Amino acid sequence: MKSIFSKKLAVAAGIAVMAAVAVTGCSSKSSSYPTKGITAINPWAAGGGTDSCLRAFAEAMGKQLGQTITVDNQTGGGGIIGHQAIADAEADGYTIGMITFELSTYKKLGTSELSWEDYDPLCRVNTDAAAVTVNAEWAAANGISDLAGFIDYCKAHPGEVQMGGSSSASVWHIAGGYLMQETGIDIQMITYQEGAATAVQNAASGFIQGVTVSLAEARSFIESGHLICLGVMDSERNGVFPDVPTCAEQGFDITYATQRGMALPKGVDAEIKAKLEEACKAAIEDADFVEFMNNNGQTIAYLNSADYAAYLEQSATDVAAAMDAVGL
Amino acid sequence: MDWGLLITSYLQVFANPQVLLMTLLGAAGGVLLGAIPGMTATMGVALLIPFSFGMDLIPSVGLLLGIYCGGMYGGSISAILIHAPGTPSAAATLIDGYPMCQKGQVGLALSVAMFSSFCGGVIGALIMTFLSPLIADMAMNFGPGEMFMLAVFGLSVIIAISGNSISKGLMTAFFGMLLCTVGLDPTNGVPRFISYTTTGLLDGIQFIPFLIGLFAVAEVIAGAERIIRGEESVQSTNEKIDRVLPDLGTIKKIFPNIITGAVLGTLIGAIPGAGGDIAVFVSYGANKSMSKHPELWGTGIPNGVASTESANNGCSGGAMIPLLSLGVPGDSVTAILLGAFIMKGITPGPMMYVSELPTVYRVFAALMLANLCMLIVGCCGVRIFTKIVSLEKKMLYPIILVISLLGAFSINKNVFDVGVCVVSGIMGWLMNKYEFPLSPILLALILGPMCEKNFVRFMNIHRGNVFEITQSPIAMVFLVVALLVIIYSVWNQSRINKRTAAAKAEK
Amino acid sequence: MKKTGTKAFSNLVSAIIFIILCAWAWIQTGNFQTVNDFYVQPSTFPRVMIIGLLFFSVVLLIQAIVQLSTMKEGDPAAEPAESINVFKDKGVQAALVVIVLCILFTALFKTLGYVICAAIICAIIMYMIGKRELKQMVLVSILVPLGMWLIFFKILTVNIPMGPLTFLRDLLNMI
Repeated sequence: MKSIFSKKLAVAAGIAVMAAVAVTGCSSKSSSYPTKGITAINPWAAGGGTDSCLRAFAEAMGKQLGQTITVDNQTGGGGIIGHQAIADAEADGYTIGMITFELSTYKKLGTSELSWEDYDPLCRVNTDAAAVTVNAEWAAANGISDLAGFIDYCKAHPGEVQMGGSSSASVWHIAGGYLMQETGIDIQMITYQEGAATAVQNAASGFIQGVTVSLAEARSFIESGHLICLGVMDSERNGVFPDVPTCAEQGFDITYATQRGMALPKGVDAEIKAKLEEACKAAIEDADFVEFMNNNGQTIAYLNSADYAAYLEQSATDVAAAMDAVGL
Repeated sequence: MDWGLLITSYLQVFANPQVLLMTLLGAAGGVLLGAIPGMTATMGVALLIPFSFGMDLIPSVGLLLGIYCGGMYGGSISAILIHAPGTPSAAATLIDGYPMCQKGQVGLALSVAMFSSFCGGVIGALIMTFLSPLIADMAMNFGPGEMFMLAVFGLSVIIAISGNSISKGLMTAFFGMLLCTVGLDPTNGVPRFISYTTTGLLDGIQFIPFLIGLFAVAEVIAGAERIIRGEESVQSTNEKIDRVLPDLGTIKKIFPNIITGAVLGTLIGAIPGAGGDIAVFVSYGANKSMSKHPELWGTGIPNGVASTESANNGCSGGAMIPLLSLGVPGDSVTAILLGAFIMKGITPGPMMYVSELPTVYRVFAALMLANLCMLIVGCCGVRIFTKIVSLEKKMLYPIILVISLLGAFSINKNVFDVGVCVVSGIMGWLMNKYEFPLSPILLALILGPMCEKNFVRFMNIHRGNVFEITQSPIAMVFLVVALLVIIYSVWNQSRINKRTAAAKAEK
Repeated sequence: MKKTGTKAFSNLVSAIIFIILCAWAWIQTGNFQTVNDFYVQPSTFPRVMIIGLLFFSVVLLIQAIVQLSTMKEGDPAAEPAESINVFKDKGVQAALVVIVLCILFTALFKTLGYVICAAIICAIIMYMIGKRELKQMVLVSILVPLGMWLIFFKILTVNIPMGPLTFLRDLLNMI
């Protein structure tokens, strides 16, 4: 009995060792990449906006590469843990990750030394523009019907208007700062750590006057008439709300959006990187992915590796200026 | 109320074999996931979202609701069997559930938990079906001030779950509230008690690893201690299970608890941002206060299990209300459900009841079905789950330990959380030894952040004028009820202490 | 009458520990950054909690002192408290071993991986609390961690550190 058991064990161990050798042997050749599953690190929790975007994109990318891409949520510390994990991952091309807007805020906040320079950007996947949305009743009572009216009101009542973003130093909170900086108004930003949904509900019930979150997040209350959107901080109108004008159309040149993109740790073989870039480019046009993003109300905004790097550099300075305005 | 539409919606859901199959699968998966500490319904729901993408809306909602309801009950299984709440909403179940297990009433405890979960879920789904437009209007009126007072009201039940020493209970509650201020301050992101380099604590002490440590790891440490001292019989109890549902006598006894629990659960779940973890403690406190024999609560009586389990499943019905009508999720599972709806091109919000009424009714029906499936899975499972405790204690304790530590890791995939789990385990062991109650810490950890965030937000909106809160009738009602609860429970506790002393003297 | 081993005495000690904790925490709150234009400072809420904790710690302290000074045989407060004497109590020693193993588990988790760490602490604890059937011990301490890893990795797609056993993951991916 005992000997049979140990024999089986020895055989199993032998197979395992051989397989391990085979696997490691293959992966050293970049020409045959990828020979095994790839892990995509997500710095944010399962079920959020970044998660759904990454899962759909990983599915599409996996199709291109002929391997499955497993999403690994490494959350905590306001995204720092996951972002750090991507930067520290082994540069063999089998670990990629999604970097998000918050990466540009860490250095300025002093929470982490991480910046976009710690990564090799692959492509930008998505951007969601902020919008100025206010309580409909309040707007009607004060005769506000467009962005100019809102800004005039804010100038006449400095510091009185209260707008909600999501949590402190998050993208929508800083959006408020950007709005203040660009238009010279003074509004009070209220933070909502629970997320944009609570801020939107509070604005709809009139506890605060408005929100600076994305259109997708305020959508249901705009449709019900509780909120009205005065302007989108984007270069063109949103497909779901073709009636909502952009800020630029109203004479205020404000564009501001959150962004998500794929990145590699520094030092990945150029050949492997090229393969991944190609896969990203093809995945962006994948029909399932496009349909998914449209249903989800997320805008696909592809930039290739070089353009994305330039964009990240620019956004790092812009974000720092906006954070000054909101007092961070 | 559109009766025709309601009935056809229910029929469509209940007569669709695909929906039935998916919901049943979901419920089975949910029970299993919930039963293993560290694997939560949230994880299951998040994982299945991509699978459900290829399905129609109602089968996929059935699958997700099945996991949700199954997970709510599943959490109580590990709470009862191994002193490790599988989900935060099962944290109050172990107050009475685990003592029942130790008394050798595992089968009874499990069947009571299952039956009350089912009843709670059905009552919640019924309330939702008939009153949700009304409740949704009420939920709209919850702002920072109201949420703050809700948290205060929730905290007022601390005395009822404190055990025999009120001062020790309040000490641990304040200690818990202090613990939840560790990390970045919610409003401004200022680090408190940490520096920016302790990344593991930036988001505060993680609740589930802490919970697993405080109960499961502490129990293993204490178990090893008891076995070495020879205080614990190493041979396990082998209870005969002759029925999977509780007998009529028990049902009669626990029925009032189930009703109160379910109603309280649904109402608390209906408040945007409040979930089952709050509901269970409030329901336990309320039921204990109303009981004729409050001194028996905490010693292992079915009423305790019934009041918490009916509340957390009632809550799953209630939580659908702000989810569907406001688009505000009450807990992490509903947050993911929200994502699932959006992916199907349905945006939950105030327009849902106008433009998507058939979908709303079908969701109600699917929730009802999910509860039925949970009951079926539960009935089949009672015998199997009871086998776990018939494992030899010498093997059971190490197994619990390695599963718990892995569970603590898997929540955030952060090794730091395993450390949090171990430290809270040591803390739980010491606190148990010196008779500090553990439940107040939990309640404080659940409500502390909610309390602070909303208070600070309220003060910022009203520019520092705290008396503005008197303008809100809802907030004032919560405040008055909280004060009454505190006064009543102090009086009740002295009554309990007198009775226990008298009972001791008689012996 | 010896009072140091009683419940009242243990309450006294724990009250003092919490009071020291309060003092430390209060000093810490002084170092918190202050925020301009805000009505509630980051240190406000923790301070309120510290005051609450301190108040009830002092209440417990006074209760304990009163109980100690008026103590008679048969008081509930005069019952012996649980021991944490590591040198005399075998049970406490066992508990300590479990704690040390847990700490080692945390420290070695990343390098050795889950299955190896878990198998080791599982086996040691089983041996310590008196399990002697070798075959069962080996089976349980290897199969349970391996099974848990399989469930988490394969069904829940949670990536768990495996240390030297990482090849198992690749092996599983190939199948």
